[in-house]
Amino acid sequence: MGHGRFVYRLAMLSLVSTLLIGCMGIRKEQNLFDALGGQEGVNVIVENFIMQIARDERIIDHFAVSNVERFRMMMREHLCFLADGLCEYTGDSMIDTHAGMGVTEGDFNAIVEDMMAAMNQAGVPIGTQNRLLSRLAKLRGEIIYL
Amino acid sequence: MRIIAAIINTLPTVLSSTLLCFFLPFSAQADGRIKGTGGVSSISGAGGGGLIPWATLTGHSTREELGGNMFLTMADVDDFTLEVAGAGFNYRDRAELSYARQNFTIKANDARISQDTVGLKYRLAGDLLYGSLPQIVVGAEHNALRDSATAKAVGADKAHGTDVYISSARAWIDGLGNRTTLLNVNLRYSTANQYGLLGYGGDDIGTRLHVEVAAGVFLTRSWVVGAEYRHKSDNLSALKEDSATDIFVAWLPSKRFSVTAAWVDLGEIAGAPDQTGFYLSIQGGL
Repeated sequence: MGHGRFVYRLAMLSLVSTLLIGCMGIRKEQNLFDALGGQEGVNVIVENFIMQIARDERIIDHFAVSNVERFRMMMREHLCFLADGLCEYTGDSMIDTHAGMGVTEGDFNAIVEDMMAAMNQAGVPIGTQNRLLSRLAKLRGEIIYL
Repeated sequence: MRIIAAIINTLPTVLSSTLLCFFLPFSAQADGRIKGTGGVSSISGAGGGGLIPWATLTGHSTREELGGNMFLTMADVDDFTLEVAGAGFNYRDRAELSYARQNFTIKANDARISQDTVGLKYRLAGDLLYGSLPQIVVGAEHNALRDSATAKAVGADKAHGTDVYISSARAWIDGLGNRTTLLNVNLRYSTANQYGLLGYGGDDIGTRLHVEVAAGVFLTRSWVVGAEYRHKSDNLSALKEDSATDIFVAWLPSKRFSVTAAWVDLGEIAGAPDQTGFYLSIQGGL
């Protein structure tokens, strides 16, 4: 009984201290664009992403009238820009791009899942995936229910 | 007799299929949220962690969808076991209705205390993952003991009661160590003794406001580790009551199925000190 409690507290202590160390750890993060493998890496992710969307029945209708070549170029630029690569994003604003499309929160999450799959396929580690996803997530308000 | 036996034997299957048919029309589209954002099922039936509800609403439905979960939970500590079965229903990621049946067994004499809990949770504002506001909900849990004898015997005022709480949760996608990290804080108003299993109120009523905290880290998209703390007060002069904690590991292979294992420290229960042990819960999407 007492032994169980001791082991329990030890485990709790290890968990909490691991979290705290993770929290306080001053780590200098690699530039995200570099972590994604530069423009070459981003291009692979974009190709995978386009293939994921093409197979995704939940959202493919939103892309029915899209120009795939333009989408490809703009995605490459936009991801490079968001990942602190030295790119300029020359496309339309997220609001202009999605106005009138009626993108739901479910559609947005489907896109997030397609991006996760695209990055998995490209062998991007989960921590790097999360760095990019958290930046993409900030765009949600300029995309859904417009 | 044979026919009756056959009917009894097939009854659970028939019932669960009926339930499935009832939920199938919308369940096919009830997966619009990111995996894990519905959490698992707490011992009260409300969507959450294990020992406490969270601000997350059960399942993965969005504002366009309906969804829900069924679950089975077992906890085995030194002198007691707890078995819970229940379900939670999510209405458009706005409101959650839950039910749980708890069977608490005292190992020494095989005595059993049973309790029914109905929970309601309403999402006021915010979102777990997106935007500037964390997800904020208000909730209520009504507990009713099947038999009031034990509660009366230990000096509780009532065999039923209602807890109310406000809960807030946020998951940072790029959190600790670049892993998605969740923090949930509840403030609960309650006069329950041991989750209501020993009734409500008593002759030595402690604080009615309780803080509950949960934290978790998604090591991968399918594995989560974390811990919970549930502050409880000590309302009975005859018996001591402690706060409860747990350390958990959850495996979410899909949006429709999860397994949660935990190590719980429930403190002193009904005169038996240092109640630690294991906790296991499985959850399936409706």
